[in-house]
Amino acid sequence: MKYLALLTGPEDIGQSRLFWIVFVLLVLNFVLGPLWMSEFEASNVSYYLLNLPMALGLCLLWGYCGVLSFGQVAYFGIAGYLYGIIAGNMRGDPWGPLLGEVGGLAACAVVSAIFGYFMFYARVQRWIVPILTLVLALLLETFLGQTAGYQWRVGSVQLGGYNGMTGIPWFQLGDFTFFGYSFYYYVVLLVLVSYLGCRALVNSHHGKVMLAMREDPLRTELLGYDIRARQLAVFVIAGVLAGLSGLLYVQWGNYITPSQLGLVQAALPVIWVAVGGRSKLLAVAISAYALNWITYSLSSAGNQYALVIIGGLLVVVMLFFPDGIVVTLARNMNRQALTRLLRRPGRS
Amino acid sequence: MGMPSIVSTTALDKRFGGIVATQHVDLDIPEGELRCIIGPNGAGKSTLFALLCGIHAPDSGHIFLKDRDITALPSFRRVRLGLGLTFQTNRAFHDLTVRQNLEAPFRLPRGGRSSTSEERYQYALSTFGLDTTSDVPARELPHHRLQWLEIAMVLAGGPEVLLLDEPTAGLSPEETLQTARVLRHLNDDGLTIIVVEHDIAFVREVAERVTVLHQGAIFAEGTVADITAHDDVRRIYLGQA
Repeated sequence: MKYLALLTGPEDIGQSRLFWIVFVLLVLNFVLGPLWMSEFEASNVSYYLLNLPMALGLCLLWGYCGVLSFGQVAYFGIAGYLYGIIAGNMRGDPWGPLLGEVGGLAACAVVSAIFGYFMFYARVQRWIVPILTLVLALLLETFLGQTAGYQWRVGSVQLGGYNGMTGIPWFQLGDFTFFGYSFYYYVVLLVLVSYLGCRALVNSHHGKVMLAMREDPLRTELLGYDIRARQLAVFVIAGVLAGLSGLLYVQWGNYITPSQLGLVQAALPVIWVAVGGRSKLLAVAISAYALNWITYSLSSAGNQYALVIIGGLLVVVMLFFPDGIVVTLARNMNRQALTRLLRRPGRS
Repeated sequence: MGMPSIVSTTALDKRFGGIVATQHVDLDIPEGELRCIIGPNGAGKSTLFALLCGIHAPDSGHIFLKDRDITALPSFRRVRLGLGLTFQTNRAFHDLTVRQNLEAPFRLPRGGRSSTSEERYQYALSTFGLDTTSDVPARELPHHRLQWLEIAMVLAGGPEVLLLDEPTAGLSPEETLQTARVLRHLNDDGLTIIVVEHDIAFVREVAERVTVLHQGAIFAEGTVADITAHDDVRRIYLGQA
């Protein structure tokens, strides 16, 4: 019961029974999706979903903790490249990809812990954090961009400069390789676990402290918390979640390029989070899915202006829905109407 | 014999550049006392609180809480050892609901928490009439309830010493009286309270002893009657000859 309360607690959208019915139906829709989706469509849906962990991590960090990172793609890239290096070098070993996955996530945890330690324990001002995090991402992009040439290889894997790393192995557990429908289920499962895990976190006592830190760090410290350690913990969680998205990305497309760590890509998670509404996880999940779908559909239809449209959307949202579209809608939704809807079948 | 001291300082000095904020402050607060600290603007009252809580580090001198030297401890450790502070300008979490505000403080796990501190908190909550079920952010509360909310929030953490920096700023006479009543009750219940205050009527209402700060140093100390009768205090602080 205690764990159930963590999921249904008040710090994310949706506490009512109706909400959970819709939620379960939605999950069922994803689970049964392969009945009516081709493998290609399932692969596309996997792509829309795989960025959700990064978006949710940024939501925790920015929306709940008040610390904006503009460089979550750094961890996306670290995990992606490291997976490529480890799994690529262990090609033929059925457990190579799993080791690559663990290695990639561990590297994200270590790098974000070291980087975050210097930021939070030095008590840098909040507005400097986006700049520092972006600089890390751009440094990595620049470094990886000049790794063209045969001398830039780790074991048998070429880093590949701006052309990127290609031929990254699929994810594999023993002899079972995940692609097509199985990869789709693997993504759905990991995204669902990430979302529910984040939801439990924000409804835990630590979640309440995160909100307090967002509002007033000094006041929170004077309520008995080491806010440096708490902010660092959330920063590491967000880094690992961004790393998870990076892993899924390279397992989905079998390649990664330094532009994945560039300025444009760094801005996208911030846009997904801002458009949905950074103060609620569910809002961010919905907008990240929708915006990835829009971007992907536009660019695969040959539209050159996908990013311009996404940027324009951000401007419109900031002007008219400063709290985010989904959060604003959820706040203004007529709860009585929903309750009536829920009661109607029993009344007749 | 008096009670043993719960908070004390020895020769506490703090300068900001060329400005002396506190000089050689030797404060001694016995357990269970309600002490008011008064003094004109710039006398070092808020700085003294900031030093006690670890917001600033003193240039020299020591701070003790229950005979333990806490001078080098970070703020959050001092709070966990039993200090609780409300700020001069209200710093309840204005964008959070009353419930979220009250859930924020660090609390010992059930069992480790003293029943007295829980009772004090519940008492303040009911007397202040704070609605924990409301969804509206705290900023929509009237000013006096925001002030009370911050006090209740700090009490939720179960402090043994409550430091209040001008808790009645901006309150009406009735609200001030209500605040005084609550503080008196909490103090009668054994809670040590130190209040920085300008409102002399309020000081008369609640204080046992008063410490007067002037230019960063302790200028006088005594009962309310002693202090209000003290000619020099009247001159520097009350503006009377």
